[in-house]
Amino acid sequence: MRKKLVSLLLVTAMSVTALAGCGSKADGTEGSKKEAQSITFMAPDWAVPTDEQLDEFTKETGIEVVVNEVGWDDIREKMVTAAAGGQAVADVVEVDWSWVGEFYAADWLEPLEVSDEVKADMPTLETFTKDGKVLAIPYANDYRLSYYNTEQFEKAGITEEPQTWEDVLEACRTLKSTGTVEHPFAIALNAEEKTTTCLMWLAYTMNGVVYNEDGTLNEESVTEALKYMETLIQEELVDPADKTSSGMDAYKRLTGGSASFLTGPTSFVSRSTNPEECSVVGQITPILTPGKEGKSEVTMALPEALGVTKFSKNKEAAKKFVEWYTSADMQKKLNETNSAIPTRNSVLEELINDDKIQNAGAMLEEAKLISSPFPDGIPSYYAEMSNAMYNAINKMALGELTAEEAFKEMDTKITELAGQK
Amino acid sequence: MKWLKKAGYVLCLLVFLLLTLGPFVWAFILSITPEHAMLAKSTALLPEVVTWKNYLELFGGSRKGQLLFAGIANSLKAVGMTLLVGIPICLMSAYTLSRMEFKGRKFIRNLLLITMVIPVMATIIPLFRIFVARQLLDNVFWLSLVYVSSYLPMITWLMSNYFSTIPKELEEAAVIDGCGRLAVFMRIFLPISYPIILSAALIIFLNTWNQFQIPLILASSVGTKPVAIVVSEFMTKDSIQYGLTAAAGIITVIPPAITALIFRKFLISGMMRGSVKG
Amino acid sequence: MKKKILPYLLLTPMILIMGVLVFYPIAATFSYSLKYWKLTAPNDIHFIGFDNYINILKSESFWYSLQNTVFLLVLILFGTTILGVLLSLFLNIEVKFSGVLLAVAVLPWALPPYVNGILWRFIFYPGYGLMNKLLIGMGMVDQPVEWLNSRWTLLFVVSIVVIWRSIPFMALVCLAGRQSIPHELYEAAKIDGANVPNIFRRITFPLMLPFIGIGVTSTSVTAINVFDEIVALSGYSDLGKNILVESYLTTFSFLDFGKGSAVTYLVMFLAAILGIFYLRSLNKEVEY
Repeated sequence: MRKKLVSLLLVTAMSVTALAGCGSKADGTEGSKKEAQSITFMAPDWAVPTDEQLDEFTKETGIEVVVNEVGWDDIREKMVTAAAGGQAVADVVEVDWSWVGEFYAADWLEPLEVSDEVKADMPTLETFTKDGKVLAIPYANDYRLSYYNTEQFEKAGITEEPQTWEDVLEACRTLKSTGTVEHPFAIALNAEEKTTTCLMWLAYTMNGVVYNEDGTLNEESVTEALKYMETLIQEELVDPADKTSSGMDAYKRLTGGSASFLTGPTSFVSRSTNPEECSVVGQITPILTPGKEGKSEVTMALPEALGVTKFSKNKEAAKKFVEWYTSADMQKKLNETNSAIPTRNSVLEELINDDKIQNAGAMLEEAKLISSPFPDGIPSYYAEMSNAMYNAINKMALGELTAEEAFKEMDTKITELAGQK
Repeated sequence: MKWLKKAGYVLCLLVFLLLTLGPFVWAFILSITPEHAMLAKSTALLPEVVTWKNYLELFGGSRKGQLLFAGIANSLKAVGMTLLVGIPICLMSAYTLSRMEFKGRKFIRNLLLITMVIPVMATIIPLFRIFVARQLLDNVFWLSLVYVSSYLPMITWLMSNYFSTIPKELEEAAVIDGCGRLAVFMRIFLPISYPIILSAALIIFLNTWNQFQIPLILASSVGTKPVAIVVSEFMTKDSIQYGLTAAAGIITVIPPAITALIFRKFLISGMMRGSVKG
Repeated sequence: MKKKILPYLLLTPMILIMGVLVFYPIAATFSYSLKYWKLTAPNDIHFIGFDNYINILKSESFWYSLQNTVFLLVLILFGTTILGVLLSLFLNIEVKFSGVLLAVAVLPWALPPYVNGILWRFIFYPGYGLMNKLLIGMGMVDQPVEWLNSRWTLLFVVSIVVIWRSIPFMALVCLAGRQSIPHELYEAAKIDGANVPNIFRRITFPLMLPFIGIGVTSTSVTAINVFDEIVALSGYSDLGKNILVESYLTTFSFLDFGKGSAVTYLVMFLAAILGIFYLRSLNKEVEY
């Protein structure tokens, strides 16, 4: 028995070396071939079109699309590594709004041509424009919209929709004191990107300004927003768990029924009607985001877009693909297949009117208020800035810093970053 | 006294099972809990309603399911390739370093051992550049070669330890019989080395299964992406699906678990000393 | 003549692999670390000597991360070694299902670190995660405990998670060491009338020591390179970051390749100090 095993192992061990040699040759030829009319498309799972849709594109244009599905967080890392090696990871890539600044500074994106007509219909395009150049075209919309749980509000004796941030605060206090909801306000406080954007939209909807012309923080506006957050934290109107659980979990408290008010992603319009995700279906109404003396006149968008990489060897084909992907017709289809929220207001309007998007509430109205809080486009140091912001907010949430100290901490870093440029 | 000993053993056994399997059991419970009940404020350990949705989705041929199983296949492929390339090279190096006298032996041996402490981060960017320049990205063979480079020190060291327990007389006798070095290696060392080879193979299997950073940069196309990356992608940005991730996590452990169960005898036998009798 | 070449010939594949895939890259990374190289300033890459290192050593953030790294290293090393040795002694007890127990013990090792982090996040979830459910259920606390909100508890939780994953290898190596000890030694000791603690101190422990050495080496490397678990548990927050997270953030998030490479080199330097220390113990031979 033992001898058999031994000889078997011997044979494998010997053949192994030979095999390994062969393997290298066989594998070496793969992956290096590229057809002229074929492009690669790197995107997260929610952006991948169906096979039928892709076939249609190929039939129409003769361009074949190879989809490379990569996790959203990993796309940027891959893009960075590839670019450091002077390579394109793909011809067409996902571009998140927060990446635009650095991608532009690093010169990784090919400027795209967009007609004025499209520009007017796509308010989020502004976010992807730097120095007058359009660097990517948004395909999935996401802007800050507010939601409240009407049933819980009524139970606490509040019949009116909140108009201002002061209203929201009062309502939350009532919800808490009447024992209706323990922690009525859902907001991200964990040390992560979502927390940065929470501070941004809060300051932006309160005062219409977040950053000064030179890229530094607007002290008055941001401090006011930080103090508002501090109040929420101190009065425990937010769940203490949200200080360390992920921002998405904090948002999801709305659909879980443990929070009554949220300003958050547009995706909650559909989430709030899906019984698998939501335990309070029918109770949530999307409303315009509050402001200081009435509804806010602006809202912030956090869209995702597609761009063509500078290193691409098939730029023309890649541009055609982006154009096709973001066309009005495709946006309708992608809403149906991928539940993507269209970036063209005309398409959004059509979908809401046709009842394709249900429980839309103030969704369309809010979309028309989209505007960018960055006076000079997204800065190239966005990642480092955001890191400083969310860490300061998180420290404030954990009671290590006061609102003033938190402001000072982020302001010092951002002033340094803005000055370096 | 005997009764006490038995009770003590059973107690230890229970603690061991609880601590080792507890997290898996909890992951399983989460995987059958409906999404909105997951964060509910209750101390109930089991969900009120059980849902098999996550498993149905993964096994039902959905895109996510396909990706997961493709990932498992990719991981297995990488394991196979790493073994094919790694084991012979480790054997050769271990034999040479433990049994041959030559200039620089100690230096090479120490240099090899010290590379154990090099983090992936220190090599990944230049590696990527090499891979790009030679068009080796998304290629299982070259990916495996990188894995081999990270296991070589530990495995070679374990193997040479094993070889050093093989009596010198055995070798000398063979040499007198007129056997060359190669024949000595093939006829004497290989036959009695199967325990360490299997032990090393299991270590390589488990470590390859866990690779994340290296394949993320060097081989993340659908055709080469390992299961660890696939599972991590179930949890990105806005689409956090805890239940699905937990279910996928459990499925991920199955292949190495089965392998460990089958080869359980060899988990440690190769690393033991004095197991070789002359 | 032929004899002299043969060893080198046999080592060629190993030397080639290590040279091209390890030594060349770390040399290249070193050269990056001496440059001002920001991806967001592609036209301004230039040599700056050791400026990156000086800047890092001056920054508070680095020393904070270093403290975390050292804290994790100590905790993980002690935890893994003690529990690993205990587990190996437990697994050494012969029962009918010893083999199966061994396979079960290996399970945590089979879990990719990132998945492992996610798994434990469910357990130490700040709201109603498993740990809080249990504690509240048993009436030990009435409000959910926020596990991840202070530096030390967070690092403590990270250590638990890493220890859980590193125990199997440690236990396996130690078990191999334990079973290598000849029975005759124990029999002789028994005849001499030695008691259990004495046997452990005089025979078991010293003879297992070299094996524990392998485990300690491998665990230290793991502990210095903890990354996935931290990210899965607390993201890229300042609170729990170690040097590796710092290096990742600098390189891949802030796109400063020069400085990021320098941080990586400092991690390596730390690891190398340990490495040299271990080399000496690894090279020792055991006599029974």
